[in-house]
Amino acid sequence: MADVHQDTRPASLVVSPAPHVTGSASSARLSWSVAFCLLPAAAWGVFLFGVPALGVLGVAVAASLAAELLAGLAARRVTIGDGSAIVTGLLVGMLMPPGVPLYVPAAASGFGIIVAKQSFGGLGRNWMNPALAGVVVALLSWSDGMSRWLPVRSAAPTVTAVPPLEALRNALTAGAPRGGALEMLRASGYPWSGMDSSVVGWVNTHVLSLFGWHLPGGCFDLLVGNISGTIGGTSVPLLLLGAALLLSRRVIRWQLPVTYLAIFCLAAQVFGGLPAGGGWFVGNMLFQVFSGGGLVLGAFFMATDPVTSPLTRTGQLAYGLCLGVLTFFLRTFGSLGDGVPLAILLGNCLSPLIDRFTRPAFPTQRKAAPG
Amino acid sequence: MTRRPVFRDGVLRDNPVAVMLVGLCPAAAVTSRVIDAAWMSVGLFFVLLLTRLCQAILHALRAPDLSEPPAPGAPPQTSVFPLRPRWLGSLLLSSCFTAAFELILLAFAPSESASLGIYVPLLAVNCLVLERFQRSGPEDEPESPVRVIARSLREAAGLGAGFAICLVAISLVRELLGSGTITLFAAGSFGGTIEVGGLSSVPVRALTYGGGGLLCLGYLAGFARLLGRRKRRSGATEAGRS
Repeated sequence: MADVHQDTRPASLVVSPAPHVTGSASSARLSWSVAFCLLPAAAWGVFLFGVPALGVLGVAVAASLAAELLAGLAARRVTIGDGSAIVTGLLVGMLMPPGVPLYVPAAASGFGIIVAKQSFGGLGRNWMNPALAGVVVALLSWSDGMSRWLPVRSAAPTVTAVPPLEALRNALTAGAPRGGALEMLRASGYPWSGMDSSVVGWVNTHVLSLFGWHLPGGCFDLLVGNISGTIGGTSVPLLLLGAALLLSRRVIRWQLPVTYLAIFCLAAQVFGGLPAGGGWFVGNMLFQVFSGGGLVLGAFFMATDPVTSPLTRTGQLAYGLCLGVLTFFLRTFGSLGDGVPLAILLGNCLSPLIDRFTRPAFPTQRKAAPG
Repeated sequence: MTRRPVFRDGVLRDNPVAVMLVGLCPAAAVTSRVIDAAWMSVGLFFVLLLTRLCQAILHALRAPDLSEPPAPGAPPQTSVFPLRPRWLGSLLLSSCFTAAFELILLAFAPSESASLGIYVPLLAVNCLVLERFQRSGPEDEPESPVRVIARSLREAAGLGAGFAICLVAISLVRELLGSGTITLFAAGSFGGTIEVGGLSSVPVRALTYGGGGLLCLGYLAGFARLLGRRKRRSGATEAGRS
């Protein structure tokens, strides 16, 4: 110990104000891990819908990078290296239908980066999620292009492609006989794949008949994501895989997405049957989760955006609650997409308010508070 | 007394929409077509100018005569247009001129009147008109009546022009991008609408909603601040500030 006093010139002594945090986390690293975890679901979309989907994803990412570069040059602060523009572009592409005209993803990415992010001062200062802002502008502006769905690769080319959720809505407005979601889809002649009927038939005859249960057609297609829908939203298992990676790396916390999905499922189960003329508690929450919208994508990859979501755990629980309720109402009674983009944007507006109410108190304040 | 460039201030330094951010309701609501914005600007110009003229005349009537000093011990000047009921009187004036403009619009441009709707009657309580009322207080330093009237007319004209420039600029962007058209006055064989090929088939419809108006307004205000900062830095307007 005597050496310590002898050596008066320590080799590397960093003097800095608190907090003294060390670690390898940086915003670039977080962005890249989010982008990596999005890839399985995006690749599934490309596999399912072919070259058009790849084109949409490519244009969205390229436009996003170009917008970031332009905005950076204009502000003399190029931030293209932090990878957030790639995540934004990827999310925009994944929320688009595969048959969308290519100017739509380009414009949506450009709007998201330039207006929603860089105009407010760049990453960390944007009050709303740039990807979602671009997608909502696209939904408002080019509703025609935003509903150009493509059939999945195994379907016959004559099949008109509509996502299950949209088909259900169409059946409801057309005044089809009311019932459960999958029954209504079957009655309206929704084209499930051949693989679905064989798998579901096999399970029904060999396994479930022992218990006297019966699965309706379409379960297998919905489960694996072999359905028409947005490029990145069809495959729930692959999205969950990416989300599990993010959770295990502690890039996101479970409180927010789990509350979001739980509240949404609760609302869908309790009230979801009402528009279809059923009673209470007859909604189909699994159908709502698996039906190819942006729900799982939004819950794990967009609602958890660290810039636009509340900071504390309590705040994230409240935020998830708001998002779940908003999504259910916008999806059931709204007309703009599947309700997820708009719900999360509205949630972004609430986020600062939630932060204000859930600000942790200093120990002295806690002591002073009665009880 | 330094003579302020009141007209130029109304257009630039005190631009009602881009700098002072008053009278924004019409700026966001009736700017989805250029012609709507143009008529709205005409209406505001009309109401603002005439209201301000009448107010200045009433104000000038109570101004003390500058040719001879007030006699010591003389009772204080009683105003024709005293402070407290001034708001009431001003509101009465602006309502009169707004009603007049509404009738003119109904008589000569009925379709435009339908298109502008409630925003024409609302001119009477436009923040811009009310803001001016507050500013011209009786504590202004004494001036000759003619100068008071002339100055207030210049000021009103500057504000009206600044308002018009902003409204037309916003509506140009919104209509061009949001609908792909530019709607102007119909004259002769010209139907009044210019279609821009390519844009009119796939317009950015979101800009025609109210949010699009606020978005353009925000960018306009930001642009104005940027210009103002750059000007201040170069010191060009330093002399003009009092």
